[in-house]
Amino acid sequence: MRPSVLLLCAFAALCLCHFVALPLCGSIVLTDVTKKTGITFIHTDGSSGQHYIVESVASGLALFDYDGDGDVDIYFLNGAPLKGTKSGKAPKNELYRNEGNWKFTNVTDQAGVGDTGFALGVAAGDYDNDGDQDIYVNNYGPNVLYRNNGDGTFTDVTAQAGVANGNKVGAAVLFFDMDSDGDLDLFVANYLDFTYENHLMRTSKGIPKYAGPMDFPPMSNNLFRNNGDGTFTDVSIESGVGKHKGWGMGGVCADYDNDGDTDVYVANDAYANFLFQNDGTGKFEEVGLITGLAYDLHGDEQGSMGVDCGDYNNDGLLDFYQTSYAQELATLYKNLGNGIFEDVTMATGAGAGMFPYVTWGCGLVDFDNDGDRDIFVVCGHLEDNVELYDTTGETFNRNILLMNTGNGKFVDVSDKSGDGMKPKHRGRGTGFDDLDNDGDVDVVILNSRDAPTILRNDTPHENHWLQVQLRGVKTNRDGVGARVKVTASDLVQIDEVHSGRGYQSHYGTRLHFGLGKRNRVDRIEVRWVGGAIDVYQNIAVDQLVVLTEGTSKTTRR
Amino acid sequence: MWALAGVVIVCAATAVLIVTFQSSIFNSTSPAHKPLRTEQEIAGLKKEQLQLAEELIKEFPGSEDSLVVMGNVWNRYGDAAAALKFWQKAVAMNPNRADVYEIMGWLAIKKGQFEDAIVQYQKALAIQPRLPGAHSNLAHALMILGRLDEAMEALEKEIQISPNSSFAYFLLGQAYLQQKEYEKAKENYEAAIKIDPGYENAYYGLATVCAQLGDSDMAKAYSEKFKKLRAEERKDLRGRKLQYDDFVETQKSAALTYIEAGRMYRDDGKLQKAEELLKRAAGLDPENIISFQELASLYQKQGQLSKTLEMHKKISEIVPDNPICHTNIGIFSLQLKQYDGAEQAFRKVIALAPKRPEGYRELARLYLEMGTKLQQARQLAEKAVELEQVAANYFVLSLACYKNGDTANASSAIKRAVDLEPGNPEYLHLYELIQVRN
Repeated sequence: MRPSVLLLCAFAALCLCHFVALPLCGSIVLTDVTKKTGITFIHTDGSSGQHYIVESVASGLALFDYDGDGDVDIYFLNGAPLKGTKSGKAPKNELYRNEGNWKFTNVTDQAGVGDTGFALGVAAGDYDNDGDQDIYVNNYGPNVLYRNNGDGTFTDVTAQAGVANGNKVGAAVLFFDMDSDGDLDLFVANYLDFTYENHLMRTSKGIPKYAGPMDFPPMSNNLFRNNGDGTFTDVSIESGVGKHKGWGMGGVCADYDNDGDTDVYVANDAYANFLFQNDGTGKFEEVGLITGLAYDLHGDEQGSMGVDCGDYNNDGLLDFYQTSYAQELATLYKNLGNGIFEDVTMATGAGAGMFPYVTWGCGLVDFDNDGDRDIFVVCGHLEDNVELYDTTGETFNRNILLMNTGNGKFVDVSDKSGDGMKPKHRGRGTGFDDLDNDGDVDVVILNSRDAPTILRNDTPHENHWLQVQLRGVKTNRDGVGARVKVTASDLVQIDEVHSGRGYQSHYGTRLHFGLGKRNRVDRIEVRWVGGAIDVYQNIAVDQLVVLTEGTSKTTRR
Repeated sequence: MWALAGVVIVCAATAVLIVTFQSSIFNSTSPAHKPLRTEQEIAGLKKEQLQLAEELIKEFPGSEDSLVVMGNVWNRYGDAAAALKFWQKAVAMNPNRADVYEIMGWLAIKKGQFEDAIVQYQKALAIQPRLPGAHSNLAHALMILGRLDEAMEALEKEIQISPNSSFAYFLLGQAYLQQKEYEKAKENYEAAIKIDPGYENAYYGLATVCAQLGDSDMAKAYSEKFKKLRAEERKDLRGRKLQYDDFVETQKSAALTYIEAGRMYRDDGKLQKAEELLKRAAGLDPENIISFQELASLYQKQGQLSKTLEMHKKISEIVPDNPICHTNIGIFSLQLKQYDGAEQAFRKVIALAPKRPEGYRELARLYLEMGTKLQQARQLAEKAVELEQVAANYFVLSLACYKNGDTANASSAIKRAVDLEPGNPEYLHLYELIQVRN
């Protein structure tokens, strides 16, 4: 009797899975492999109990292949001792070379990228089009541009490039070609006008806490035009970017209106977000309000933190996903295609589980290769002691994973997605890429005042995939800003190459497309910055293809 | 009754705080220039309140009110778990406390536990189906979970209960917007703005709807209006943030505990203890009018009219533009035969609220009682009736006509008063008097 009951239950479960919850059957599994990686980085925010606001917003990270060996390396940003902090050895940013098989080696010193400034934002981009990715670090204090020498080392070329950008509190860094001239320009977001002199500390119920962004004056952002000779010119004013002051944090560049040039989205903390619409020549108009991206559905500004871009519903339009402060929902803005975005957070469930948490790094990533983008959000309170005055908040939080059901909705699967979703930290920046080149996307998270978290994607390999790496020839070398359209039978997906995204971080230079059960890609269309199009047909799946501008041929790695 | 008061107090105090902050944004220094209050001082205040709440629990062992007060104290100090424990004990003792379920719903929302919030609000509404605001809050939780149809049903109920709830109309607009019923969304945003012309979020909703409908000119116009209102609001917000003083806020929060305790003692007839606690509340937050209102009510109950008047005068210092407090000053001055003070107060009421009948009516009543300016009293009473056709105004008009020797008009006015409020003995008495005279 008993076995048949069990069988019946199993059958019922199978039926339920098949007919009711079909989209959820392929579960995502993320495994915490931090300890086996050999990564010893510990983030510091330079705090000394004074609660300087810059401590609370550090830091981002970059995932990129610095040595061109075909695997993705990790660059962690670090804070620096602030006034009053007693510190022996100066903390610095750390670069870890991916050795394969989940082993990483600290190559910071030999690479020469161990800046000891108070680092907040970063992007990697080949600004000199010499075939390797350079690094720009946005600090509290002077910024740093490291030119990649192509031999595993970098040179600090900040002064000669003219991009130190004063002594500001930095935020996102975005490389993009604003004027389609073939080289990468540089957008440098700024957070606020903080100095030791205007510092203030707040208290709540007598407990010390950080002041809010509005306690400090806002700042405009900076835009540097690449002169093509290793130097940059500050064009913040003439470009139109500099006349808008805000409290910039994360950002991402994207051709949201599909007009062939790259626009800039800047998430502002407790203020209307900016969307700088490019006229194609590097002149910008701020259109956040009229596009519906400045505020949430209710017309309220959010404590916006990070922002990512992707086509969550495969309708051929780039959507935005933005994280925010506690008591707010992280927001999914659906691109309606007519220059307007709609906040569909509540309608899609894209904010599920996030209301009590401060949310930071985020990604629209297809973790299970089923052909639609899931959502990963890093959580962790801004304060380091919130429980002392508000027990509805928690200082340390676990992260959240929402699975795209394929019908325009998201379901919170954080509880069912492996041990990697269990640890609680004060997460900040995050990045997503295929660290072990096994065809699925892994996760790296920078945790404030803590070791990072490295999550290996152990989702069963039931689906096909394709990775695309672009090689610009006339346009910038990595194809930043190029749009890629992948057609596999009934599934059509788009993506763009971004340099700088999420919460003040960089990741995803090579594009990743989940294909579900489709075992052939019919067509890849690449629209390079400036409008030239290459089409590639009949491509095998489960591989990385390198597409070189003007060849319309695939090159297998 | 006092159960509901807790929530009302919080709302009222918040309103008072906002008024107070807004009025003094630019004449204060930033907290950066003030020494920070010590954690110990605030801890001391917290201890004091917890001791008071403990005292209430001992003093009123069978009353859930003391448990509610204890829960409120913990909540004010950010300990949600402890607050919840006492509120749950309170509803276990008296399951008919809609207000406690409502506040538990609010706490659940704050914790992002929307399903639980829905349950709590539904419990509150099962007890008190016309609890103002509860349907809106329920709808808000439902909307976050994407349950739009249920949210809209709740909002329709809220609008029936509170037809002047701009928030309910706004949320209904949001629900229709998400359902892509743009015309209906527009109607509801417009209704919200009709009630509250400064409702900036509703303008944002209108801009969104117009953009969706392809009316870019109107979308732009509403966006501009929204931007303007938002810029003003942010200016105020920044001022409030600069003004914010944690210790002062903690004192204000502590005052609420003393008000709640004072009310409990007052209801128990222990007026001296109630007075002591309410005075402490007033000392902790000298800008919270509720303490003074409660003290006024207490003194009035004891027949101490001078003290009652004094409290109303203090209220008028805090909210000088509020016509109701000047009406009260006039009424109690009149009872104390302080005619000059009464006349001055009623004239102030007319100046502050010229479209409301109260000032005209009470000034007419004053002249009639004094037996002076009778013709002017009649004109004032006529004005009151013109503004609002209610029994009280007809009564004073009748009296004014009568004292001016116009018994015919006195008779018709008192008939209207009696028709509108048939059980009022004062009106009936005048009616009979005029009939006899006729």
